Parts: sequence; C-alpha cells; structure tokens
Amino acid sequence: MRAVLAIFSKEFKGFLFNPNFLVVCGLCATVLSWVYPNQLAMFSSDLNNHVFAQQMPPQQLNIHYAVFLRHLSYLNLLLILIVPALTMRLFAEEKKMRTFDLLLTSPISSAQIVAGKYLAALAAVFTIILIAYIYPATTGLFAKINWTTLTVAFLGIFLVAAVYAAMNLFCSALTESAIVAYVMAVVFNILIWFLGMGVEVVDSNVARSVFEHISLNQHLAAIVEGTVRTTSLVFFFSIVFLFTFMSERMVEANRWR
Amino acid sequence: MITIENLTKQYGDNVAIDHLNFTVNKGEVVGFLGPNGAGKSTTMKIITGFMAPTSGVAKVAGFDVFENPIEVKKRIGYLPETPPVYLDMFVEDYLEYVANLKGVEVNRMSTQVDMALEKTNLLGVRKRLIGNLSKGFRQRVGIAQALVSDPEVLILDEPTVGLDPKQVAEIRDLIKELKGQHTIILSTHILPEVQMTCERIIIINRGKIVAQDTLENLSTIKSGTRKVHVRVRRAEPAAANVLKGIKGVLKVAAGKTGNDWEVDTSEGEEIIEAIAREVMTQNLGLLEINSVKADLEDIFLKLTYDAPGDGAAAKNGAHSAGAEMTGV
Repeated sequence: MRAVLAIFSKEFKGFLFNPNFLVVCGLCATVLSWVYPNQLAMFSSDLNNHVFAQQMPPQQLNIHYAVFLRHLSYLNLLLILIVPALTMRLFAEEKKMRTFDLLLTSPISSAQIVAGKYLAALAAVFTIILIAYIYPATTGLFAKINWTTLTVAFLGIFLVAAVYAAMNLFCSALTESAIVAYVMAVVFNILIWFLGMGVEVVDSNVARSVFEHISLNQHLAAIVEGTVRTTSLVFFFSIVFLFTFMSERMVEANRWR
Repeated sequence: MITIENLTKQYGDNVAIDHLNFTVNKGEVVGFLGPNGAGKSTTMKIITGFMAPTSGVAKVAGFDVFENPIEVKKRIGYLPETPPVYLDMFVEDYLEYVANLKGVEVNRMSTQVDMALEKTNLLGVRKRLIGNLSKGFRQRVGIAQALVSDPEVLILDEPTVGLDPKQVAEIRDLIKELKGQHTIILSTHILPEVQMTCERIIIINRGKIVAQDTLENLSTIKSGTRKVHVRVRRAEPAAANVLKGIKGVLKVAAGKTGNDWEVDTSEGEEIIEAIAREVMTQNLGLLEINSVKADLEDIFLKLTYDAPGDGAAAKNGAHSAGAEMTGV
C-alpha cells in the first residue's frame, strides 16, 4: 500500500509541477471559457424567444440539456485528446529512461506499480474535470440549478475519463515511445465510441443487446440525465479492470524478455 | 549469500549466459570481469529479479529470485548500467521515493537518505534537480539510490563509468568501506578497479565462467610458459643467440633497451638457473634476471581472447583491447 502511495504521489506531483500539465489545463480552460458563455448566451436568447418559436422541443428550455450537457460533450472531446497526453509518459518514458529498472527491482508487485500510476492518472484527469465543473457551478451562483443532476452528470464524464485513462495507460505500457503511445491511445478513445455502432447493422436480437451493452453512449446517456444504473457502473468498472489488468500483464511481461 | 546454479539465459537462439555456477559468501566483494557482451549485466539482472532466467536457479539469502522475488528484492540494492534517475526530480526527493519503494521504515527515512547522500558525497546537491547534474553526479545519485535502503547485497553494474579520476577513487574507497557490511558484486571491464577493490574475481567470457579465484591465485595461474626478463651489461648481438641456444628457451625478443631481453621459456624453475649460468659463462655481465609474474591484464587477455589457432590477429586485437581495459 505504501509503495502504491509512493508511486501515486511521485507521479501526481510530477503532473502538478510539470509546466506541460499546467499549460494543458490552461488551454482546456481557454476552450471552455470561449464555448461556455456562448452556450449560455444562446440559451438565454432561446428562453426569451420561446414564446415566438412554437415548435421548440421542451428540452431546449432546460439549462441541464441546453447548456450543461453540451458543455460536457465539449469536455468529452477535449478528454479524448488530453487523457492520452497525460498517460503517455507513465510507462513509455520509464522504459526509455531505463528508470523502469528501478521499479522492477524494488520489492513491489506489478499490480502495485500499475495501481499507483493509474490512480495518479485519475487524479490528474479529476483535476481537469474539476476545472470544467467550475463553469456550471458559477452559473449556479446566480441561477437556480439542480446540483445533484449536475454532479451526477459530471460523475458520468469522470467514469468515461477513467475508462480512457485505463485504456491509455495500457497503450503506454505497450511501447517505449510516448508518441506512439499517444497516437494509439487517441485511436482507442475514438474507437470505443464507435463500438456501439454495431447496434445499427446487426439483425439478431442477442447481438443487438450485446452491442447495446458495450456502447459507451448508452451508458453515459443515462448517467448524464441523472440516472445511475448498476449495469452502467459494472460496465465502466469492468473496462477499467480489463485494461489495468492487461497493463499489469505488460509490466510483468518485461521480466520475461 | 548468493548461489547461482546452472543459470542459463537465452535471447532467442542467442545464448547470453550458459550454465553459470558460482557462490558469493556473506560480506565478500566479488568482481565480475569480462569483455563487452560477455553476459555480466544479464547475470546481474537475473540476480536482482529484474528478469527471469531461461533455466537454472539463482538464490539470494536462501530465497529463490524466481519463486520469491519480493523477499530477494528487499535485500538488494542495484545500480544498473544506466543510473535509474528521474531527471525532473530533486536529489533528495528522489532518494526518499526510492526509500519508500524499498520499504525503508518511515522513522528511519531521513537518516537513511542522509547516510546515502553522505557516503556518495552528494550533500551539496541534495536540493538540485537531477536533470541539471552532470553525468558523474547522476552516477553517484544512482549509487546513493542503491545504498539508501541499507541492503545486505549490493549489485553494481559498472559503478565508475563516467566519473572523473578523483570520483573514481572516491567510489573505490566507498566500496572498500562498504566491504564487510554488505555483500558486493561489481562488474567492470576496468582491471585496476578489480585489483583495488575485490577479494575474489570471476572472469566471464561468452556466457561462460573462464576463471574464478582470488587475485593472488589467479596471478600465479599456470599458463604453460614462463616469461623471464634478463638485463645484461654488454649488449652484443650474440647475446640473443646465446639465449636462444639454451635448452628450454622458446623465444627471445629484444626488450626496451638494447640491454634488455624478454625470454619466453618452458615452465620450471631450473630454466632460470640455466639462463643465469649461461649468461655468466659467456661473460655478458648479468645485471638482472627475474621471472615476470603475470598481471591481471595478461590473465584476462589470455583467458578471454587467446583462442587456440589464431595467432597474430588475435594478439593485435588483444593489445588494442588491452589499452581499453586499463581505461587509459
């Protein structure tokens, strides 16, 4: 446990004191600071005009759907590209700088190494999501919003980011080059969104329900509306477990070369 | 303390080490010597539990490195070929991190870190970023890292590479100082280093142990021939012929000056007597005669480069390599 904590705090400090991470956070904030007020302005003009626009769907008049969920989808887009940048170094750099030798000759198990690194990646991702949370939270200062639904929606995006982090950590464990790890990780992140596409093309009911269950979209859609289903939690945790387990195997495999 | 039995490691078809057998006792300092690519690093990596052997057994303090890697790793401090330092960390933070990984008790943490810094003379740079340190300093941080958990066994893979002569001397002193408290295996291809620090030497070539003994025993290794150095007062061209005429003399070569002769002879002490007698009878004026004791370099070159059948080429190769071996 102590070793996990040591690796976690070393990696997390590495993020916080690394100017690159701060730059990434800053750029994220820049994008969101441009997009969010615009969304908010559009929403307020929709509210003013809804009397004249008869056929406007009622969801458009709900701040959660019209502003917060769009905010989350932009955040998701950013995370697809940023999480790989956070995780790419975690194993690839260790291997390249030969510091991996230190970890592999320390009295700790591969699982502890992966756990420490994964938790550090989660903490870094959490920081970025926290930054994004500030925007709707400030709206809450001068408007009445549903805090629970908002927080649950952010929890949903955090779970998705946890899935990205697990997959991307695995990519980093596969290679010595941080660039290769980054590209591979982005492809993984995009790919997982298209898995659910299978629903449209298969005929059998069984296959359709399988595709429905492995579709990230399906699970996220419910959570961002404020409904936490255990099947969704099981789904997210299984993917995280699968990829952290495979990372652990990759670390262990280094002993066999 | 360390037992190696029939240890073999193959990379595909390439045999890196081939059925190694040796033991290292508690408190011993053992030098691991061999040309580049002989299998020194591979053997060390297996002992540290960094990689698994293809077959064979390696035990540290009674624990099998493969069955019980955690127990083995607790007892080992390891300095790999490249010091495993994070360039974006401060020296002190780095050592604390390593101490945490190695499971040093929390209340002993700061004393252990201070001890490691002091022994490697790093107190002055403890607050510096490792990335800003020179290669020699990084190497020393690597050594400090191996020492910080006060391990029973220290495994140092070429510890003095990249250091300046003063630092090299300091590290050698450090190793001498650690003698007795720790069991040390150190690999190198710098021969004086082994001569100065190690009690026992294991010479390894192409994955096989070619010799393992104490330095004294290795120096008197039976090589089949004896080298005799003769110095005379009257350097006459005839002297060579006189020497060649003696029974048992194989080859006579001119030495540094016209008065010196290097004589290769068959083994046996009587040959020295015969040479002396002959030189006296011929009235050449004997000044000096001595049997040249093989030094470590000769032994090393003989064991690792002298393959039977290849003459001059091997010898030339051996000489150029010899220059590198001494590090000059």
